[in-house]
Amino acid sequence: MMIPESLAYAAGPAGMRDDLIGAHQRAWQRLARTGTWWRGEERLAIAAEVRNAPACPLCAERKVALSPNMVQGSHASVAALPAPAIEAIHRIVTDAPRLTERWYQGLLENGLSDGQYVELIAVLATTITIDSFTDALGLARHDLPEAEAGAPAGKRPAGAKGGLAWVPTVAPEDVTEAEAGLYDGLAGVNIHRALSLVPDEVKGFFDLDSVHYLPDAKLRDFGAGLRAIDNAQIELLAARVSAINQCVY
Amino acid sequence: MALLRASGEHSGEDVDLNAINGALDQASGIAHDTILIDFAEAFALSDQARLAAARQTLQETLGPAALADAAGVVAVFDAVVKIADATGIPLEDAKAAATDDVRGDLGIDAFRDHAAD
Repeated sequence: MMIPESLAYAAGPAGMRDDLIGAHQRAWQRLARTGTWWRGEERLAIAAEVRNAPACPLCAERKVALSPNMVQGSHASVAALPAPAIEAIHRIVTDAPRLTERWYQGLLENGLSDGQYVELIAVLATTITIDSFTDALGLARHDLPEAEAGAPAGKRPAGAKGGLAWVPTVAPEDVTEAEAGLYDGLAGVNIHRALSLVPDEVKGFFDLDSVHYLPDAKLRDFGAGLRAIDNAQIELLAARVSAINQCVY
Repeated sequence: MALLRASGEHSGEDVDLNAINGALDQASGIAHDTILIDFAEAFALSDQARLAAARQTLQETLGPAALADAAGVVAVFDAVVKIADATGIPLEDAKAAATDDVRGDLGIDAFRDHAAD
């Protein structure tokens, strides 16, 4: 697969870590591959819709409404995806703090499967991570890659259970041979479990997360010196962005 | 938040957690805190003019590698918060308990009250 030249970050700041560049290149390749529930073409359509959602007039109107449910209408979309997928992408991108379990159940009632929903979130999160990185540095966003052909297997982990979150998740003790290595290098805390209904997406997203933030095993290794900023500075940035996003996690 | 507090304790810094909710009116105890907060806020609020200035200040003061690392952190947390919100994954009880004393004071527990259905 051809990777956009921009992913070498020749235009980026001096001293950019090679592990960061490598993780971005792997993530961009993953976006184009056949997923567990979506084809490569559909995953790239999700990524394109993630980029488009902030310009949606309906989302802008809902964002300022007392309740998003008070405003009806159609999303301005660019992707050929099912309507509940478009609704999911737009709401998560533009108004995530006000999502509710009832809203999520409505997506399922309208035909989106829980596996499709979780994989959609992973594609969305990957796209946002890399787009936000280039945005933060004042660089142009990378062109989306060409889709790879293939049919999704639609395979569900045998140990997936409800009860922890809105979506089913796999507890570390319920990992089977089929998804061996799911939490390798991870503690298996709740945020790691969030995408575990689609095990490949846990591995993929946290491959990216560990180089953007810190490897899980180093979170409390305050003298490790893995980054050009120290742990307190990293946590300050993380906490401030999370607070502005009104995230309770 | 717990890791912010713990990292401050490790380095002997008395970290003022008001830095998290934008209510900081004095030094947080973290080196170059105002530069980093300005960068994080400009990014998260999509204020392009402010972001360009914050980026330049961060690079000139802490260096280009620090700018890349800071961009990496804000970018991935912009995504992680959406994973948490969209899956309804809860904060672990132990983490909530560890930060219980400041969550209310900082207004963080009120965020979920914004959810509408």
